[in-house]
Order: sequence, then structure tokens, then C-alpha cells
Amino acid sequence: MKSLAFLLLFFCFSAFGAETESAKIFLEKLSKSLRELNFTTSFVVVKNNQVAPYHWLHGIGKDDQELEILTRLNGSRRDVLRKGNIVSYIEPEKEPFSVASNSIQGPIPAIFREEISQLEDNYRFISVGRSRVLGRVAQLVRIVGKDKYRFSYWLWLDQQTGLLLKMAVVTRKGQVLEQVQFTHIEVNDTLSESLDKFQLADLPAITKINPLIKNQEFQWQVGWLPRGFVEVKSNTHKLSEYNQVEDKSVEFVMFSDGLIDVSVYVNPSKEKFMAAEYASDGATLVFNHILQGIEVGIVGDIPLITARKIAESIIASSGNSKKQTQVN
Amino acid sequence: MSEIKSESVSSLVDNYSPSSDNGVSEHLVDNLLKDDNSLDAWQNYHLIGDVLRDELPQSLQLDLSDKIATAIAQEATILSPNLSSIKSHNGDSSSDELSIDKTADDNQPEVNLNLNDNDVIDLRTRISAKIAKSLKPLGQVAIAASAAGLMIVGVQGNISDESLVTPNQIIQTMPLSGYANPVSFNVQTPKFAPNFQRSQSTKQEKNDKALEQRLAQQRKLQALLKDHNQQIKLGN
Repeated sequence: MKSLAFLLLFFCFSAFGAETESAKIFLEKLSKSLRELNFTTSFVVVKNNQVAPYHWLHGIGKDDQELEILTRLNGSRRDVLRKGNIVSYIEPEKEPFSVASNSIQGPIPAIFREEISQLEDNYRFISVGRSRVLGRVAQLVRIVGKDKYRFSYWLWLDQQTGLLLKMAVVTRKGQVLEQVQFTHIEVNDTLSESLDKFQLADLPAITKINPLIKNQEFQWQVGWLPRGFVEVKSNTHKLSEYNQVEDKSVEFVMFSDGLIDVSVYVNPSKEKFMAAEYASDGATLVFNHILQGIEVGIVGDIPLITARKIAESIIASSGNSKKQTQVN
Repeated sequence: MSEIKSESVSSLVDNYSPSSDNGVSEHLVDNLLKDDNSLDAWQNYHLIGDVLRDELPQSLQLDLSDKIATAIAQEATILSPNLSSIKSHNGDSSSDELSIDKTADDNQPEVNLNLNDNDVIDLRTRISAKIAKSLKPLGQVAIAASAAGLMIVGVQGNISDESLVTPNQIIQTMPLSGYANPVSFNVQTPKFAPNFQRSQSTKQEKNDKALEQRLAQQRKLQALLKDHNQQIKLGN
């Protein structure tokens, strides 16, 4: 009791000390568990007053190969399958395709299974306390952005297995934008039956997915980014075939701070000006505006001010004569 | 009532067949039905069971079936009197009818006519009955029509509301690992001041244009989101 009071007191005065250390230990345990355990789970993603249920299996197969299946349970079937370093996406409207990657892209950030300490530059880890989630003792750990340009991630981690029980994406004001709630967790010593079968199946061959032109000289560049964001990839490509209005090439750059990815799309526009339009899908913001004949689109799990600030910072690359005609 | 009898009733209440292992014997049930004591016991046992299980209703009516039986017995058999019964009734007690008529509307000529002749009364009731009969469906139609009218008015009201204020938009998007999800637009409401002096047609045109623009914008945002998700999947 005394120690608890002391802990509370300690927490009040220092969010950096022991709390950060213990939070880090929990997060490292999570990362290890996500990589090494055989687990069968179900969870729901709650956003925009909508609930999407998923099935998520992970296990270690022969030759210590990691096997993973993520299935969306409502609507048309979409599966993400992973075998070691090959991830396959099976979706109804496309041919199944595989990419070389060691993490699946789903509702749960891939960084959680990797080296979590690389987030320390831009986020604080705070261990808040225990509560009961999914009938288990859960440790609440908050990953809080160090500046106002990113959201916080609250994780409820299982005391026993270290696995994720619940996750919430929260604004600085405490508004919950998106939640992942696990509804079932099972950890086994042996590989689950479905994964055992999956082990024998062949995944589609890795498709060569870069017919995209790698552009050396971009006409525009981003003038401002929140601290810690670095360019992950860039290219010029046509915006998806779903855009019936105009099929134009965009300059595309993706930035990441380790936890979240932000895409920036820039292209010249016929119109001189269009006020900012934006929509949000859970924590994901889609922002679009035209300023001085340059259309800028920003997509990512970021607050509006961040998107706006990035969009307004777009400047013409120096030494490019082409941009002059565009701007004027 | 014998011990055995009450015991068998009790077993039946508990869904067990007394004595034998196989199902409830018809013979036994028939005997119970004939015996008033057994029936009382049946009722009481159920009541006791309800009390024990705490399933009593708020107001306890022990003789509900009796009450219903008496209520049915007292109920008038003729629910809609036909013309002939009205006629005979008028013929028998025209004075009753008249006094009512008189108090209702004093100086009406018909009342005077009624005073004079029974045949006229007869004719009048017949006509009024006929009118009532023919008016009944008309009234129903009128109610239905007014309800429909209200609906139309309501819908129109909604439409005009939406044209003034940009509605909460929903677009279909493809979030991470797939499946269409609606994206609700948060803000971006061009504030139309409701200007009623403007003519309807120009307002309509303006709204059409705004709607078209909004749809294009939605498509654009949707394409961006979809591309973003796809790019994340493709990796570096």
C-alpha cells in the first residue's frame, strides 16, 4: 500500500523517470510477444461509429518462420497473409499480390512488433496504471507525442502475455478517434491448426510493383514537417483509377516518424485556388487544397493543424524553371 | 382430497409424471380435470411456485379466467346495429329520440317534421344511416390522403433544409487492409445564409453546382485515401 502511494506520488512528479522505464519494459515485452508467441485473437476496430471485426493469428512455424493471418470478417473477404518476409494481400477487386516485407499493414501499427525505442525521440512512453480489459489485468501505457503535431496512442497490455488488449488513438484534448478492442486472446505452445495448414500453402509470387517512374527532380518540395519525420519513399504516379474526374500524375512523397505514415501528393491544377477540404476516417485525415495553382493532398493519422501546416509549406524546388510558369 | 392425488398434481406441476417413468398418462390428466379439488390444487401449486421463484405479477388476480368469462357473458352481442333495429327502436320510443333532438338543435324544421310523422323519422334515419355508410370510406380516404400529404410536406421540408445546410457527407473509402468504410466529413460547410429573396431557380442551380463540386471533392479525397493505403501496403 505504501509503495503504491509512493508510486502514485512519484508518477505525479516525474513522468520521465521510473514510469517511462516501466512503460518501455512493457512495450518491449509487447514487441517480443508479437514476434514470438503463437496467438489466436479476435478484435474489433471502432471508428466513425462503425465496428469492423478482425481475426488475427500469429505463430512460429518450421525453421522458426513467422506465420501470420489477418482477416477482416465483415463484408467481402480481405486477407493479409504473411510467411516470413513475404506478405500477401488478397482482396476482391485486385489480383492477389505479394510484397517483400516482414510486417503486415493493418489496424495495429507495425512498429509495435519492432524496435520500439526508435520512437523515443518524438514520443514519450508513460506507464499509467492497471485496469481490467478483456477479463485480464491490463497495464495502460501511453505513447504521447512530444509536440502538438501528432496523436497519442494508448495501449492496454496484458500483464501476463504482454499482448495488446486494447488500443486507442487519442487527440491531445483526450478525444478518442479510433479504437481497437480485442475480444478474444488465446496463447498456445503449439501452432494453431489454421496456421499449420497455411504453412503448406503457397503465396503468390512477389510482384514487381514498381513500374512507377522514380523521379529525380521533383517540381515541389515540402518546406516543413513535424520533428522526426523522414522521407520513406517518393515517386511520381497516377492517382488511382477510381478517380474518374481527372487522371493525372502526382508527385508523391511518404514521410514517417516511425509510428505514423504521412503521404503528400502534389500536382499543378487548372484552378488557382480552392479552400481546404478534409475528411477523416477514424484517426486518418485526408486533406486537400489548391493554393496558387498547386494542388496539395495530405493523408495520414495526423491532426488537422499538422496537415495544414505541411500543405502550406509546399514550395517550388529551387532551380526549376518549369514551376515559374505554373505559379504565375 | 387424497394424499396420492395431491402428490400427483404436484408432480405434474413440476413437469414430472407421477409413479410411472414414461410420459404423463392421459387417464390421470382426465381425472384431474374432472376433479375440482385437484384443479384448485393445480392452481395453488402454480401460485406457490411463482411465489418461490419470485415471478409474481404486480397485481395478483387469482380468478382471472372467471373475470374474463363473466366479461364475455356481459358483453353486448350486437356490435353494429343494422338498419331494421334502428327503425324498430325509433318506432318504439320516438319521444326519447325527439327529446334528444330537441335539446341538440332547437329550431330545426326537421325536428318539427319528426314530431308529426313516424314515417318521416324512419326515412330520415334511413337516409342518415346511408349517408354515414357512404361517408365512412370517404373519411378513411381523407385520413389516408392527409397523412400522405403530411409526408410530402415533411419530405419537402427536409429537402429544403438540406439544400440550405451542407449535410454530413459520407463517402466510401478503402481503409487499411480493405473494405469500404464511410468517411464522414467533419467540417467544410460553406455557410449559406438562408436568403429567401433569391429566386428558387438560381438557388437550385447554385445547390446543384455546389453538390457537384462536393462530389468531385469527395472522389478526390477518396482517391487520396485509397492511394495512401495502397502505398503503405506496397512498402518502401
